[in-house]
Amino acid sequence: MKLVFNNVDKNFGVISALKNISFTVNPGEFVFIVGPSGAGKSTLLKLILNQIKPTNGEILIDDINISLGTKSEIDKIRRKIGVIFQDYQLIMDKSVEENIALILDIVSFPKEKISSKIDEVINQVNLNNRRFLFPSQLSGGELQRASLARALAIEPEIILADEPTGNLDNENTWNLVKLLSDINKKNHTTVIMTTHNQEIVNSLDKRQIEIRDGEIKKDNQSSEVTVKKVVHHKKNDK
Amino acid sequence: MTNNPKTTWHHIRRSPIQSLTALILMTFSFMLVSLFVVVNSGLSKVLVYFETKPEITIFIKDGLAQGDIDNLQKDLANYQNVKEIKFISKDKALEIYKQQNKNNPMLTEMVTANILPASFEITVTDPQALEKIYQNYATKTEIVDEIIYQKDIITSLLDWTNIIRRSGLIITMVVFIISFFSVSTIIGMKITNRKEEVKISRLLGASKFYVKKPFLLEGIIYGVIGSFVGSVITLGFIYFIRNSINSFFQPVIFISNDLIFYTTVVASEILLGLIIGYFSSLIGVRRYIKF
Repeated sequence: MKLVFNNVDKNFGVISALKNISFTVNPGEFVFIVGPSGAGKSTLLKLILNQIKPTNGEILIDDINISLGTKSEIDKIRRKIGVIFQDYQLIMDKSVEENIALILDIVSFPKEKISSKIDEVINQVNLNNRRFLFPSQLSGGELQRASLARALAIEPEIILADEPTGNLDNENTWNLVKLLSDINKKNHTTVIMTTHNQEIVNSLDKRQIEIRDGEIKKDNQSSEVTVKKVVHHKKNDK
Repeated sequence: MTNNPKTTWHHIRRSPIQSLTALILMTFSFMLVSLFVVVNSGLSKVLVYFETKPEITIFIKDGLAQGDIDNLQKDLANYQNVKEIKFISKDKALEIYKQQNKNNPMLTEMVTANILPASFEITVTDPQALEKIYQNYATKTEIVDEIIYQKDIITSLLDWTNIIRRSGLIITMVVFIISFFSVSTIIGMKITNRKEEVKISRLLGASKFYVKKPFLLEGIIYGVIGSFVGSVITLGFIYFIRNSINSFFQPVIFISNDLIFYTTVVASEILLGLIIGYFSSLIGVRRYIKF
């Protein structure tokens, strides 16, 4: 799934949340969106989900301009995106496994495979002993992992993770980052993760887009990508 | 776990008071509808009974030749919608008079067959025919002594039947409108309570119809259960007390004993309940799910 931002602005009244944002995320890329609180990271993810619409510019997902797309096109795109929301967005009167089953039902996952898929993702995030509990009975870290399990269940083409480590302890933070990195490598799933934890960003050699005051300040390709580009250019030069 | 009937059942269980209110309103509406259907059916029978009774009696002049009487009978038989023509001779009239006044010997002692006129009692299938017969014979004073035409009774009965039918229809409509909008509002309240769930589902890629379906199904459930319970309660109660009601309206059988009639009423009301439940929830859903 290819994602393109072309000169995107987002204003909330007189406040300009994002200014002239342009970047492209290719299928299979792992991108960190970094920046301080209030920089516009979450706004950027909301725009990708078409939760809010850009004031100017266009956002293309697989060449579909999502702010002009039909409801049906938007629904289809959303079904390919696994989201880990900063505030979890779990349904409060459904248990962890019911929350996961809901998204599987939404994406029309084969009914006979739903149960085994739930087992698989719950084991992946190590929530086996919490699967029948409701969100109000879980800790912050467990909620974050339940949200991750739900995102992984649909085998998405893109994972959007909005500060997913914010409520996790050190061990779970690294487990989650490793899990996302493994999924990215193994399934070529595009991962876009917002964070202000520089330690995590530095630990992985991934592309970083730094946003400050609603503007892109830096867009560092990972050395892996840079090396590939250099090799590509050298080949072309010859 | 997440299919729509289970989601609907989950919604019903999570707000039992609202669900019960919707169900009671629907049940009450259909109790009234059932009552209206049964009363209407009974009234129709009463009306038909009176309409087809020998409602016009032509008293003929004394001393009329048998040939003239026969001609009169043939002439009456030529009218459309005449069901039966009964000739009451002077002797028969005396017999009827004595039977009617058997408890009052003073009234019967002085009366002989000679002072009672012979008559024709005419039964029709269409009350319009009575008016025609009356108009034609009222002027034939050479053969007709008097005509007794219970026009006023039928007109008054028709008026009352129409008033009862219209009032029943209006009351039923009003109750239906109230329950329709109440169910619609209750569904709206439920959507408001579950706004977060609807919003999250939409963000996860659920189509609008996917999030609407459980609420539409909920309205249909209220309609179907309410109509079934309401009609069974009313019809069951009426069936239970039918003998008392029927003895009051004798000889008319006001409350039918026909099981096909009851089955048809229940089935029709369930269908009506389904339609009303669907449309009332549809209005609620359209008003409250806009994202």
